[in-house]
Formats: sequence, C-alpha cells, structure tokens
Amino acid sequence: MTADPRAADPRTAVPLDPSLAPPGTRAFRDAGGIPADRWRADQDGETLVPTHCCFCGVQCGMYLRVDRGGKVFGVEPRNHDINRMRLCPKGINAYQQVNHPDRLTAPLMRRSRDEEFREVSWDDALDFTVAEIRRIQQSHGNDAFGLLGGASLFSEKTYLVGKFARVALKSRHVDYNGRLCMVSAAGANKLAFGIDRAGNPFSDILLTDCLLIAGSNVGECFPVMTQYVWGARDRGASLIVVDPRETAIARTADIHVALKPGTDSAFFNSVLHVVVEEGLTDEAYLAAHATGWEEVKAKVAEYPPYRAAEICGIPVEQITQVARAFARAPKAMAWHARGIEHHSQGVENCLSVINLCTATGHIGRPGAGYGTITGQGNGQGGREHGQKSDLLPGGRSIMNEEHRRQICEIWGIEESELPPAGTSMMEMVWQMQRREIRGLIGICNNPFVSLPNYRVVKEGYDATEFHAQFDFFLSETAANAHVVFPVTTWAEDEGVMANAEARVVKHNKAQDPPPGVRTDTWVMCELARRLGAGDKFAFPDSRAVFDELRIASAGTVNDYYGITYERLEETGGIAWPCPTTDHPGTPRLFEDGRTYHPDGKIHLQVVEWHPPMDPYDDEHPMSLTTGRTVAHFLSGNQTRRLGALVEQTPRPWAELHPSHGFHNGEPVRVVTRRGSEVFPALVTEAIRPDTVFIPYHWPVPTAANALTIDALDPRSKIPEYKVCACRIEHADKIDDVPAPPVAPGQVSYPEPQIARTDPLPPTAPQGRGTSERS
Amino acid sequence: MMGRTIFIDPGRCIGCQACVSACRECDSHRGKSMIHLDYTDEGRSVASLPTVCMHCEDPVAPCAEVCPADAILVTADGVVQQADTTRCIGCANCVNACPFGVPKIDLQAKLQMKCNLCYDRTAYGLAPMCATVCPTGALFYGTVEELQAERPGVQVADIFSFGRSEVRTGVAMVVPADRMQWPVPGGLPVVEINGKDVRR
Amino acid sequence: MLGSRLLENFDSALLPYAVAAVFLAFGVAYRYMVWVSAPGARRLFNQGWRSFFSVANFRKAPTALPRMIATYLGFQKFLGARSHARWAAHQLIFWGCVLAALITFPLTWGWFTFTSGTGSGPGYEMRIWGFKIIGFDSLDVLGWLMFHGLDIAAVLVIPGASYFLWRRMKDRGAITGQRFAYDLVPLIALIVISVTGLLLTFSSVFLHGGGYEFLAVLHMVSVVFTLIYIPFGKFFHIVQRPAAVGMQLFKYTARQDREVFACRRCEEPIDTGPYVDNLRATMRDLSLGFDEWAEYCPRCKRVLRGSAYLSQVKKGFK
Repeated sequence: MTADPRAADPRTAVPLDPSLAPPGTRAFRDAGGIPADRWRADQDGETLVPTHCCFCGVQCGMYLRVDRGGKVFGVEPRNHDINRMRLCPKGINAYQQVNHPDRLTAPLMRRSRDEEFREVSWDDALDFTVAEIRRIQQSHGNDAFGLLGGASLFSEKTYLVGKFARVALKSRHVDYNGRLCMVSAAGANKLAFGIDRAGNPFSDILLTDCLLIAGSNVGECFPVMTQYVWGARDRGASLIVVDPRETAIARTADIHVALKPGTDSAFFNSVLHVVVEEGLTDEAYLAAHATGWEEVKAKVAEYPPYRAAEICGIPVEQITQVARAFARAPKAMAWHARGIEHHSQGVENCLSVINLCTATGHIGRPGAGYGTITGQGNGQGGREHGQKSDLLPGGRSIMNEEHRRQICEIWGIEESELPPAGTSMMEMVWQMQRREIRGLIGICNNPFVSLPNYRVVKEGYDATEFHAQFDFFLSETAANAHVVFPVTTWAEDEGVMANAEARVVKHNKAQDPPPGVRTDTWVMCELARRLGAGDKFAFPDSRAVFDELRIASAGTVNDYYGITYERLEETGGIAWPCPTTDHPGTPRLFEDGRTYHPDGKIHLQVVEWHPPMDPYDDEHPMSLTTGRTVAHFLSGNQTRRLGALVEQTPRPWAELHPSHGFHNGEPVRVVTRRGSEVFPALVTEAIRPDTVFIPYHWPVPTAANALTIDALDPRSKIPEYKVCACRIEHADKIDDVPAPPVAPGQVSYPEPQIARTDPLPPTAPQGRGTSERS
Repeated sequence: MMGRTIFIDPGRCIGCQACVSACRECDSHRGKSMIHLDYTDEGRSVASLPTVCMHCEDPVAPCAEVCPADAILVTADGVVQQADTTRCIGCANCVNACPFGVPKIDLQAKLQMKCNLCYDRTAYGLAPMCATVCPTGALFYGTVEELQAERPGVQVADIFSFGRSEVRTGVAMVVPADRMQWPVPGGLPVVEINGKDVRR
Repeated sequence: MLGSRLLENFDSALLPYAVAAVFLAFGVAYRYMVWVSAPGARRLFNQGWRSFFSVANFRKAPTALPRMIATYLGFQKFLGARSHARWAAHQLIFWGCVLAALITFPLTWGWFTFTSGTGSGPGYEMRIWGFKIIGFDSLDVLGWLMFHGLDIAAVLVIPGASYFLWRRMKDRGAITGQRFAYDLVPLIALIVISVTGLLLTFSSVFLHGGGYEFLAVLHMVSVVFTLIYIPFGKFFHIVQRPAAVGMQLFKYTARQDREVFACRRCEEPIDTGPYVDNLRATMRDLSLGFDEWAEYCPRCKRVLRGSAYLSQVKKGFK
C-alpha cells in the first residue's frame, strides 16, 4: 500500500468523486481526430463505396461509408482478393482525412516568404503562378522551372505531371518522390529483366517453400501483406528475414540475419558463393535463360562466408544456412523493399538478390520468383507513365529516338519541342541551391520531411524565386511556398493505381470535394490552358486522361491498353501488361522463361560491395538507419493529423541497444556530420548494438532526415537513407515535436495533438500499448 | 463445445494495432476502443498480445458475479455483455476481478465498458471488427474446423490456469498441438516482478 | 391506513392504484432482499452503510454525503459524461416522475386532500394528514399549478421518454443487445401514462368529459402495470442507484485516510485499500480462487499472461 500521489499533499481535499482506476482502464484513448460527439452511428441508411486504401503499395480494398448527406464518415472492410477484408491501422483511419478540419479549402498565396499566407481566389492564384512561370522562363530559360510529382497520385495524374512538364512547361526538369522510394528496384529490374515490376503476385507467396524477405519491415510497413507471409508458413514454408532490427516478422523467423546496415550485397554475394560451392545452382536454367553468369560466378567467388560474415557482422553459419534453405527449397521467393534499396548501391543490392534467384532457378513459377514491395500507394503506377525525369509514358525512355517520336505523335508536338532527360529529385534540389532551377511546382510531395539532409533541402527551396505546392493539408513544404493549391483527397476523385504486384486497381469517388477544392487534374489543365497549351490538356476528368494514357502505353512493355475502368470495376484489378481488352492481364511474369529484353534472357550483373558513402570514424562509429513505423505514412502530413495514429505513435524515438547504458526514455543526442537532434531512447535488445534506428515521419527538429546523408546511388539516384555514420551522446532535453502546420485562420482539432507532447518513446516500435499513459 | 468464436494467437501478432482502430469503428460503441494491445516483452522484443473479452464460461463471467448492481448480462449464446447503462454504478469491481484484465471504466460517466464480441455484427453472422481486419490472423473468428482448415496442425485451448484455479472461456487461444491438454498459463502465481523474486 | 386517518380520507376511485402500490412495496422489498444477499452487493451495501453511519466520517466531511446525493441522484452529472442529450432527457423524465410520485402516492393514500369551504371552489385548502397547509384559489397561478401538477409531470416526461424511444430506434449502440421487454416497454409505459393523463385533463377541460371513462381506465391500467413492473425490470435501477452513493462514500472515506492501493508490479494506483480488500473478500465468497490477482492492475495481468504464454506455450510463430 502506498500513498496516492494525488493525495500526498494533506491540504488537497479528496475530490467529491473519489474514484480511481488502474492505468489503461480509466479512459478511452479516443480517436481524437473526430470529437467524441460526432462518433455516433445512426440507423440512417448509408452507402458503401468500394475503393482502395490511399496509403501503401499493398492497395487493400475497402468500403468508404457515405451518409445520406454525401459525406464520408467511416470505413467497412471489403473482401477484395488482395487483402481479404484485412486492414491496417492507417487504412482504418484513412477516411478521417476526408472531412478533417485541417483541410485546405482555398488557395493560399503570398508574394514573398516574409509575408503571411492569405486566402485568394483561384483566378488570382493561377494567374500569379502563370505570370511567375513566364517571368522565370523568359529570363532564365524553360529549364529554370521545375516540377516535382508524387507517387501517391492516381496514375492518370502522374501521366499528367509528365505531360504538363514537357508540353506545357516545356522544361526538362521533372521528377517525383518515387525517386526516394522505388527507383533502385526499378533500375535493377530494367537491367536484369527489361521490365520494371515484381515478378509474382502476392498469392504466389502462399505457394512457396522458402520465403526470403530482405530489408522490409513487412509487419509495420505493409501489415496486410503479413497474412501472405504467415499463410506461407502455415503451409510449411520457412522464413528468412534480413534486417538489422528484429522486426515483428523477424522475431519469429526461421533465420533472422541481423546484418550491419549497408552490407547487403556482400551478404547476398556470399550466399551465392555458398550456393555455387555446394553445387546448388540450377545450371540448366542459367544456361537457357541467363547471360553473364560466368562473370557473376567469378565475382561471388571473392565473397567466401568468412569475409562476408566480417563485413556484415553476422555469424558465418548463417550464410550457409540461408544459402541451403533458399537453394534447396523446391520453390523459393525473395521479396525486398527499401532496406536494401535506399543505398548508394541500391541498384546493385537488388541485382545481387536477382542473381541469387536466377542462379537457383527460382524465377517465373508459381511460388518461385522475385518481387519488390512498393512503398507508396501508386509506387508502381507512378513510375510508369512519364513523371520520372528519364521516362515517357508506357515506360519509354526519353533518350530513345523511337520512343520520343512515338510520344510526340501521340501528344501532337514536334520532336524538337520535347525536352531531353532531366535530373533526379535530389539533384534538382542541388540545382535549386545553385539557382539553376529558380521556380518549382510540387505536387503531392513533402520534401522538407522526406528528402535527406534537411539543411540542404531548405536552402534549395528557400533559394527559389517562386514555389507552388499542391496538397490537401498544409505540409511543411507547402508552408514554405508562395502558392498553395488546395486539391482533392483520394476519396473525392476517381482514378487507378498499380500496387506492388503491378495490379491496376480502381479508386472510386466517394464524396464531392469540399467547396473551394479542385482536383489535381483540373489545376494542371487550367495552368496549361493559361500557359497556352490548353488544346493538349482538354481533360474534363480522370477517365479522359486514362483513355489517353491507355493509348500512350499501347504496344509498350507497360501496356495498359486492354485495361478500362469498366473492366477494373468488374474484375477488381488487372495486372499489366494487358494489350487488348480481352486479355486477362499478366499476374506472373516470365512463365515462358522469356524476359522483356530483346534476347529474352535475364541479364545477370556483376555486383561488387563497397562501404556506405558516409565513412565511419572515431567520432562517428555507429550506423544510423531510418525507416517507418506502422501508425504513420511517409512524411506524416496525412497521418500526423489523425488522432488514433498520433495516439498510437505520438513522436519519433532513437532505438538503441541496452549495451550503450541508456535507460528507456532518457534523452539521447544522435550526431551525424549533418547535424544532431535529441530523441527519447527506446532501449531494446531487438536492434544491433552498432546501429541506431530513427523513424522518419516527423519534421525538424525531430526529423531523421536532418541527420541522413544526401549521397545518391549513381544509377538510380536514390538517396542513402538507410545508413550513415553517427554517434550517440547523453543530452538534457528532448526536442519537441512541432504541430502540423495549418492554414492561417484555421482551427484544428486540438485532441489529436495532445499526445504529441509526450516526451517518452513508445512502448515498442509499433507504438504505445493501449494502456500506456492513459 | 466451441461454436463460432475468436481464436487468439499472439505468436502471429505483429502489434500493429489495427484491431484497436477497428474496434473504434464498431457501431455499437463508435469512437471507443475496447480492445487491449500490450507489448509484453518490452525492451527485449516486439512481441505483443491482443486482449479481447474472453467471455468466461466456467466460472460464468467473474465480472458479472462480482457486480453489485447485476449490470453485466450473459446472453444465451454465452456472450458476456458490457454493463447495462442504467444499472452500472461504476464501482470497478469487474475491472479488478477480471482475471484477464479486460473491462474498462469511464470514471466520469460511471460506466463500465468492454468487448461484447461485436454483438451488433456477430448476431448477424458477421465477424467482429477486430478479427475482420486483423492483418495476420492473430485474431481469428470462426469455428475450430475453419481455423484448422487454414492452419493445418494447430490446436486450441480454452482453459486457463490462475494459480490453483482454472477458468474456461468462450474465446480460445491457439496452442501448439502437443500442449493442447494443458491449461494455458494465466500468469499466476507471479514468480518475479521486475527481476525480483516475489514468491512468499 | 394510518396516514389516511383510518381511511377517512381514502378515495375509493383510487383503489386499484393503492393495490398496485402494495404490490410495488412487496415486490421492491423482495427484489431488494434478493439483490443485497448476493456477495457483491451485500459487501458493498455493508461498507456503504458503515461509511454512512461513521461519526468520524461526518465530522471530517459533513457536506460530502449531501453533495454526493445531489450530484449523483439529483442532477446525475455522470449522465452528462455519457451524452448531453441523454442527460437532458433523463433529467426531464426524472423530475417528471419525482413530481408525479410526490403527488400520486400521497393522493392515493389520502395523505393529501383538497377541500373547499364552498364545496366546489374556487377557494381550496390543501391538507396533509388532515391539517391545513395552504389555502389557495384554484383560479390563480398557484392554484393552477397545484391542480395541474400531474399534467406538468406529463409534459416533462413525454419529451424525455420520446427522445429515448427515438434513440432506441436509431442509435446503433443502443440497438445492440436491446430487448423489448427491458428497454422499450418502460419507455412506452411512461409515454402511455403521460399521454393518457394529459388527455384526461383535455377531456375534462375541452370535451366536457367526453371519453373520460375510457381514458381513466387506460391510464389506470398503464400506471398499475408500471408500478408492478418496477421491481422486475429496468425501473429497478431507481431502487439500486443509491448504491452508487454508498460505493462513492466508501471510497471517499478511504481516500480521506489516503489508503490507496498500488499495483504490486507497476506501482500505479488501482483503487483504495479497503476497496481491494472488499473485492478480494467478495471473490472468496464467490469461490473465485484468483483473488490475489486483484492486487495487480489489469495491464500487468495481461503482460504477465502474455509473458507466460511466450515462455511456456510458444515464443514465436510455431
């Protein structure tokens, strides 16, 4: 029996209501995002609109519940065959964005960054934007104005981003935030297979005998995909997880390879070394379907297990175990994600996995194959139709004369008018720093949180003379812009996305946008019209854009021609390539053993491991790695406003091993060559002692990306988010998480932000337990 | 014995809290989540445990037995309902008597609330919200046969031991086949607390 | 018998009401005995009265009990935390019923009488137990209020009960597990009583007694039914609710002595020490053999159970 802390002072009277209750029972961790009195469910009749989730690349089906007033008010599980009614916490709470009080409902504008934003009419905002584009382009050339898209847009809109940059802005500088996400896998896939997508559908995972997951925290980043992983194990498959942290799937895996960040290709080369040594390669398959095997074999001979074990910091036996488990399995699959892709040798890491799959013959069969898990909802579709600096619609190359000619014909422009290839997103920021790019429009991205080395990013954006941003919440980046266009959420427009399986799914419109809000399509077309390219942008809606996209992709590898809205509604999704309207789509690639290279072979590539770009030294002996947590999505502009998700994970933390002597919740300063920030320590044995993990969804001063390095992969130009050198120090005070920005004069719900000031780390990386601090 | 019910398998749980958010969407208590998700191995692993009401069958609902206001009703199909709003006096007897730590209490409203197995859904044959959305099947709703069809070789146990007492529940745990005949440990007797041996 | 001065003031037209009231008294007494003989209620009942009769308690906080009664039983502030609309509706019903009961029961037993020196007014005297309390003119405001007390009660009850009835048709939370006899019948009964009561007045004032007989019978039947129903249905909460005050007082006493019981594992407060002891005794009465578990908070119970599963059943997937 101890004294009640609240009654410790004898002068304080006992309240008239003397009730006490133990932690976790006395309050409901309210969803906050919606005030409690609006949570009623009345028997008033409702419509269920079938659609998909707006968040990750799994693209779970869901129903949005729409009341008789036409407003989205809830979610209901949908038995779509991707997710079979399952949803993750982000998906369940996604609907709360639609009628959220933080929504932008009028264009915001200011002539200089010293001024406050003020709400203006659409005409004023559009006219000012067009005038600035003209001014910058007339005095500094067309390429001085850039465009950055996003991979959470519908494919129609990503198509428009590319077309708008090349046809309306006539600028070479267009890129998108998939550059921070998918490009390493894309580059590797193109090199090896001549096609950029996962080889097998999710359902093949259920058929496999050995599942290798490299650098993917499936349980948190793609929670609903876990059902396939567990389903495979229920049927007897073994699970190998390669991750520096013991994540939820690694915890129970048959083999968990906790390697040092940035050593993936050494590990996979060594696994292949053992496969070769033990004669487990599928020589017949290699001879028939691959080129470059001899060179690869010679290179992996340089990676005996003892060498790789030293580089990776893992037991030697694990390499042999993994090699045997993977190569001896009748059917084996490898899936990977950002963990091996976010590196200065991201493409090579992916290639080393492809080499392993090819050498063991695990390609193109039910239950055997290779795949990459896209992080953004339209991570797959968003990179296919021309918003990437070097690509044109249908996955065509902007460097290829024939491809250029085809697109110019479809767009009705002269080939001379089509700009050449531009630069990648991070490079564009460097160009902004150097004032080579002086104006920018950003659509559906938040680089202030998502790009590495925040200081450089801020400098680059601050150096622009004009910056406009499209968003439905005021992101940290938009808050620094000159013009902000309020656009629709995913539930207020229709369009398609392609998920991690390259299955094209259709999102349906559930409600009308709030007054003052326009679709991204409308804004881009309207800007194009004012720039004098209106005839090329006469798109009343997504459907019209999609029809042009189908034609623009016809005959290419990424063939969408056979996919129509009607077919998508009937089938629940079609995997491209789908060349004709009676074609069933292609869920599994390479079934006939042919790739999309002209010779039909898999082009194996030699991979040489090299250390990460940020060197370790005595000052910076540890590795900093970054990643996601289950309750938040990317830059957090959407999820940091939803009460349930903020309650689950209110703030970032620094995850470290108990051997450093920190206790849980203690302030820990993480120092890299770019800066330092103080986080509460989450002390756990589930991380390598030489590694620190910080989730990246929050802005400065609690941004992981203020610490990360802006080193790029030379081929894919992906930044090296997953490893940089750091050290940890004791500190006095934890940096506070700032509130998400809102438009001037707008009042947000205060409830979702209460938990944000919690100075403690969550109980576990997945969040606070339901009983913590309630 | 067991009909359609929830089967809990903490081994599959990834701690994502989809169940917690889904519970909040259930129409019979919108905005309030009744499910508990605890990280039971804090500091060592990311292991987690979802807790829904176990709907005790023998003894029938300790929460209802200790209720001084007869507020907790057990339906004919064995579902232990949450407290009747007109009767509950908010004394918290059920909160502290429940061996599984399930009921919650709204101190201001003087009202106990707890999982009622989504009675609004299960009464019509739908699965409860939490088990519908659970991305991993850590919460599974159906019959034992349906469970075993999806997961060959698993067994379920519906008896928990708390010291010398045993409690048989309506909701069951998934256990390895060779442990089926043993009760699932309920946590009592407590052997050590925070590293200290507390056996008296 | 006594209050009506050996039936002298008894109004025979009210006989069925009187019979129902007798049934009510026996029903309540019987239900009450059954209720408080269960271990959970009995122990709390004893603890509540012990706190109530404690002189020390009264000295320390003489106003606590009246304030508790006012907030919990009178203004029912806890209902406001459930929903403001439900609080408002419940207050209407509550005060309506209190008013009606204050008028009906004394009238039934002849404790109140209204007499007029002239035989038919307008000057009346109100007598309680035969003693004149107040004289008034039935035509002035006070008189109107006195004569229409039950109508006022009906006007309070009808909107309150209608709101609850409407909510029970519409709100999915309320509909879940709703039972006709338990949840809807009491509301319907209240509305029938109130409406027929109002119609009686309407009939006598505007229809010169048209349909009065029928309405009177209907009114009587519904009232009698409701009175008999009280011990066995939802209305029993009226009898039970004061237990909330007893429970509060019991915890209040312990809190004043700063006897707070903390969880043996996480050391967060669970409840007051005497409360935990009381609960453990209740559990032992009920042969629930895990009463020592009450010394741990629910979160620790779950964490300990989860750890036991991890270490003794299976650590991971298989």
